[in-house]
Amino acid sequence: MIEINDLQRIYHMGTVEVRALDGITLTIEKGEFLGIMGASGSGKTTLLHMVGLLDLPTSGRITIDGLDVLRLTDYEKTMFRLYKLGYVFQDYALVPDLTVMENVALPAMLRKDRSEEQVKKDSFSILQKIGLYDRRDHLPRELSGGQQQRVSIARAMVNKPDILFADEPCANLDSENSKMVLDLFHEINEEMKQTIIMVSHEDWHKDYFHRIVRLRDGKIASDEKNLSAG
Amino acid sequence: MGKKELKVAFLLALRSLQRGSRSSTILTVLIIGMCFTNMIFLPSMFSGIGQGITKQIVDYETSNVLVSPKTGEQYITDLGTTLDLINGMPGVQRASPQYSKGATFKYRQRVLGVSVRAISPSDEMEVSPVYTKMVAGSYLGEGDTGEIIIGKPLAGDATVRQEDEFEPSLGGVRVGDSITVEYGNGYTKDYRVKGIYYTGWSPVDSAAFVTWTDMEQVEGKTLDQADSITVKAKPGYSEQFIKNELLAYGVGENGKVQTMTDLLSKSIGKVLQSFAIINMVSLVVSVIITTVVLFIVITIKTLSSRKQIGILKAIGVDKEVIMHNYGFQVMILGVLGIILGIIITLLLAAYMFIHPIVTPEWSAYLYITPWDIVTNSVILFCAAVVAGYVPAYQVSREDIQSAMRA
Repeated sequence: MIEINDLQRIYHMGTVEVRALDGITLTIEKGEFLGIMGASGSGKTTLLHMVGLLDLPTSGRITIDGLDVLRLTDYEKTMFRLYKLGYVFQDYALVPDLTVMENVALPAMLRKDRSEEQVKKDSFSILQKIGLYDRRDHLPRELSGGQQQRVSIARAMVNKPDILFADEPCANLDSENSKMVLDLFHEINEEMKQTIIMVSHEDWHKDYFHRIVRLRDGKIASDEKNLSAG
Repeated sequence: MGKKELKVAFLLALRSLQRGSRSSTILTVLIIGMCFTNMIFLPSMFSGIGQGITKQIVDYETSNVLVSPKTGEQYITDLGTTLDLINGMPGVQRASPQYSKGATFKYRQRVLGVSVRAISPSDEMEVSPVYTKMVAGSYLGEGDTGEIIIGKPLAGDATVRQEDEFEPSLGGVRVGDSITVEYGNGYTKDYRVKGIYYTGWSPVDSAAFVTWTDMEQVEGKTLDQADSITVKAKPGYSEQFIKNELLAYGVGENGKVQTMTDLLSKSIGKVLQSFAIINMVSLVVSVIITTVVLFIVITIKTLSSRKQIGILKAIGVDKEVIMHNYGFQVMILGVLGIILGIIITLLLAAYMFIHPIVTPEWSAYLYITPWDIVTNSVILFCAAVVAGYVPAYQVSREDIQSAMRA
């Protein structure tokens, strides 16, 4: 369970103070597929980065499964991200010099509790799941945008994280590929009871979310369950 | 930093070099290789010159130990007894005396002042390799009279006009020709040229040799004195040992005893010191160039991969792994550059061994020892590692947000 209390993020641009997040309080249950929506500049990506430990808030508190993650050291945060969190970015963010297989295996290779054999097995298995096993020796530039994003999802999932963060994962994809990616998220959520927090501004994406939090000017504008999800 | 982290860092480094910009990798390796060559070439050249000069001085002037007249005296006296004493000492292979006399050489229209050195050919052959440097005719025999051997530069070349000559010569003397030699004491004699030699050591090549017997005729008396006695040590005996023996046996009473090292430190010590300073400057400049080049290369690499570094950190790759990734890249580039540098250097050394730089005073080749290669490789490698790790350290500490926004 993720508990966010009075989260604030203030940027100073010269003399101007910008409140990107202005007192966000939110609880996210394990296994939820949460959509964070809102207009551009509403603070959705900032919120995702705070909860995903990619940035520090100005004030507030975030606990994940009871652990006050903002009190962790830099190294502990890195290890927390490696072991507990997974990320899918808008622009896929694959390492261009690594093959599909190497990209997927990279986070698993760093885990101390995984043998080389296990890493290979997990990577093969997830590549089969996303349908890109045959392209495992290709470089990212040899894949389409949709395929690259699926590789990015595989990389995020290879460590079987507790929480998966997705920052506008369909922003660079056409509607067919977007649907494929969202279906994959839905499948992961259903089969593995995976907590997924996804940022999106596309209204039709809301059909996939169990719950939709809408932000406006750094504040929660609405927080509603989507009973027709899936 | 565990084994797994190092393995991932190495994988990232290797793949970046394998699949990144090939031209950038080749250029960087080439620069390191050339820096290595520059680091080793000039010092090796100077070492080669130093070694060459040292060898020539030992071969043609001093041998292992030189006995010269005592201060204020012109000759070593009581030569026969002194030679018997030296030749009977343990560790001495042979002692060879020389007696020099100024003379004027006349050949056709040419007249030239030359130093004539009297030697005992059989003794001289044991201490000096001049007899192996004959380019025409043959070396002197023990009982030769009326025969002379001269250096090739002194003999000259008949096809070169006098005004075009680099140094004065007799204008093309050949074996069998007759030269009129007028000694300083007025004694004049016609010599048949028995042989022409070329050693590459100017003082010897511009001189001429006659037998001791011949010089006794010139002086009109038995010569029991010499300008110098060169002493060759048997293998396994140090020059210092021979010097100590000579002094212990009282040779020091007839002449000044100096080892080759004593003499060299006086004669070319300053030259070698100057070479050492130039070598040091060259080394420092090469190391600075390599460090700066690698620093720029890695800085550009890190700056152009800031976003990727941010992503790697975001997915849980520790900053140490990211730093070592660039560290490994620079190590691989460094090792490849050093290997290339060694290949270039060895090719140059082989070329210069076959075609040494020859001047009228000395000839030089590249004198490279395995130790030179090891030390220069280690210095360059360390410089490369420092140059790579500094920018890698800086960029790996950047916060994720700033890096990802780049």
